[in-house]
Amino acid sequence: MKNKKSILAAAWLLVIPVLSIRAFTTLYPIAATIRNSFFDIKLLQGKNEFCGIKNYIFAFRDPKVLTSIEFTVIFVAASMILHIMMGVILALILNIKFKGQRFLRTIILIPWAMPAVVIGMAAKWGFNNDYGLINDLIRRFINPDFNYSWLIYKNSARFAVIVMDLWKDLPFFAILVLSGLQFISHDIYEAARVDGASGIQCFTKITLPLIAKNVATLTIPFTLWRLTSFDLVYSMTSGGPGEDTALIAYRITMEAFTNLNTGYAAALAVLLFIVMLIFTSLNMRLQTKMAD
Amino acid sequence: MKKKLIGLVLSGAMGASLLAGCGASSGGAAAGTGAAGAAEEAEAALSQGDEEYDLTLYSIQTTDPEFDQWLADVEAGTGLNINVIAAPTDSDTRQQKITTMLSTGDSSVDIIEINDEMSTTFKNSGWLVGLNDTVMTEDIRDKFAQGYVKQMITSNDGDIIGVPSYAGYLAFWVNQEILDEVGIESINTKEDFMKYMEAVSDGSRYGYGGSWEKTYVFNEIAQFVNMFGGDYYDWTNPANKEAMEFMHDLVKNGYTPLDQLADKYEQMNPKANDGKYGCWFMWGLGTDYANAGMLGEDKIHQAMVPCLSEDGQRYIFTDSWSYVLNAASEHQDAAVKFLQFAAGKDGMEAGYKYFDRYPARADVAEEVVPDTDPTKEMYSQYASECNVMGRPMLPQTMEFISAMGTIFQSYVRDEITVDDFLKQAQGYVEQYQ
Repeated sequence: MKNKKSILAAAWLLVIPVLSIRAFTTLYPIAATIRNSFFDIKLLQGKNEFCGIKNYIFAFRDPKVLTSIEFTVIFVAASMILHIMMGVILALILNIKFKGQRFLRTIILIPWAMPAVVIGMAAKWGFNNDYGLINDLIRRFINPDFNYSWLIYKNSARFAVIVMDLWKDLPFFAILVLSGLQFISHDIYEAARVDGASGIQCFTKITLPLIAKNVATLTIPFTLWRLTSFDLVYSMTSGGPGEDTALIAYRITMEAFTNLNTGYAAALAVLLFIVMLIFTSLNMRLQTKMAD
Repeated sequence: MKKKLIGLVLSGAMGASLLAGCGASSGGAAAGTGAAGAAEEAEAALSQGDEEYDLTLYSIQTTDPEFDQWLADVEAGTGLNINVIAAPTDSDTRQQKITTMLSTGDSSVDIIEINDEMSTTFKNSGWLVGLNDTVMTEDIRDKFAQGYVKQMITSNDGDIIGVPSYAGYLAFWVNQEILDEVGIESINTKEDFMKYMEAVSDGSRYGYGGSWEKTYVFNEIAQFVNMFGGDYYDWTNPANKEAMEFMHDLVKNGYTPLDQLADKYEQMNPKANDGKYGCWFMWGLGTDYANAGMLGEDKIHQAMVPCLSEDGQRYIFTDSWSYVLNAASEHQDAAVKFLQFAAGKDGMEAGYKYFDRYPARADVAEEVVPDTDPTKEMYSQYASECNVMGRPMLPQTMEFISAMGTIFQSYVRDEITVDDFLKQAQGYVEQYQ
């Protein structure tokens, strides 16, 4: 008994340095952020006063934040639906055996390996009416008189941001779905075919149910990444036109590091944190139901 | 249950990484992620070859091909061994980094180059050292443009917090080839301007070009308000309304493209070089045009600002980047030495020689800039014929600029009326003043 206790004490002794570092780098900032969210801190004005829940109330009245929430919901929903649909299709394609399959599986990950800031800067030029690749291709192959500036209108700018987000992360999503597909035994398909199942039936009755849990699990980090995404719009649109493509994480960054409204930024970050916890809980519940 | 817990912990960790960014102490002691990054950069730079440095300079000029020669000149002139950290080239990122460094009391950088937006923001914050007694002494400060020094780099307590590294104007640029093609000799009045717009614009080419991205368009809004004799801080002024309607009509009549709402200078200048614009406003001496082989009296060049107001006055904005001394610096003496050099003849001359920056001191410009430099004549005309002003800025500069740019973009896209724009603009002035 005594021996067990001393082993435990030694274990704690070894773990304490790591825990201390973790506490300092994670718990302290979280606590400080929650504390700051109840203060009106404006560094440029030298202001630091307790304001209760004023920052939280203002967040739901601030037109900039409301626009950000609107676009964040659209961005996350559209991006995730397309990730799931196109990701599964892409994974199925990558699962087909053909010459060059390995090569394709490798190069398809290149966009994912590129930093979002680089992609955003390239996309800013790519969607330019005069010098952009997108309009150039449209002019060459579809309509030589095509003229459209994608990033100056609300809907097209939002569309462009979602497209670039898909372009970057879809391959990674597809590769992860592919890993799930490869766990499905060929014997199941063979048995189904022997029983006269068509290709579509094989897909809907075998493939989809067997990868559903895998896809549902993948949606957690992918959705959370979208909720905290700011680098793409930061470099591609700067939240414009107006504030139309300012994702909530971008708004938090601007309030925290450009406007130096630290208290308000902290309140927005806490709200986002709560949204993320709720989403994760719901998703976990869904997964449990699926498992049952 | 275990999976649930792991899921929640993972999402918590992710959220925490976001929250951590907002956890900086308001007291200025704790370092945020940005400051930590800057400190790491500084440390990395300082450790190069274990060399000892006298001070660290955070510079925007490091991408200039002649930067090393400039640095060698400065080190020879000051006797200092200077460590240089490159500031980000992206304006938003640069401003965020500098703001974070200063607000957190980061001492890893001694001298920083800041623009007017930042000097307006920081001059009353206490994060910069007043230079009245050490660098910008009476005999020196008198040699700089007084209006600029007072308006842009002097705090409410009278402390001059920076040394302007050059003198720049938001100059009016024209494409001479287009002027010749449409048979217009000069653009002096509103009538000339409109005639030029009509003659040049054809759907693929425009009389006027700009960079109307929401934070960049501020310069042109303020410039047009000035040219119409308005007041940027008073949006009940009828001249402001006239200016905004004029800009709106430039778009409506096809004299300027709506595409430029997404453009910063890096998008606007190639278009100017490609002959898409007849005229525009731009800072600097035209390095981008020179690099494209388009700078010259018969191609792209500066011209006198047209007079659009009824009072017959011409208006032009001046700007600069200033060297400032970080209050948290641990190398104050070396920093002062550097600033004294920068404010002197040799420092100004080095800036002109290596970076094509027009000297901020009139006496040095007269002595150093050759008469053959066309900028000298143009700048002298700007100084004598125009009302030279600093740009209108408020303490929460970037927030104000961004808010104004946002409603301007809405207005030119016809999402709000001119009266809505004016009402909101006045609201922002009152909110941020």
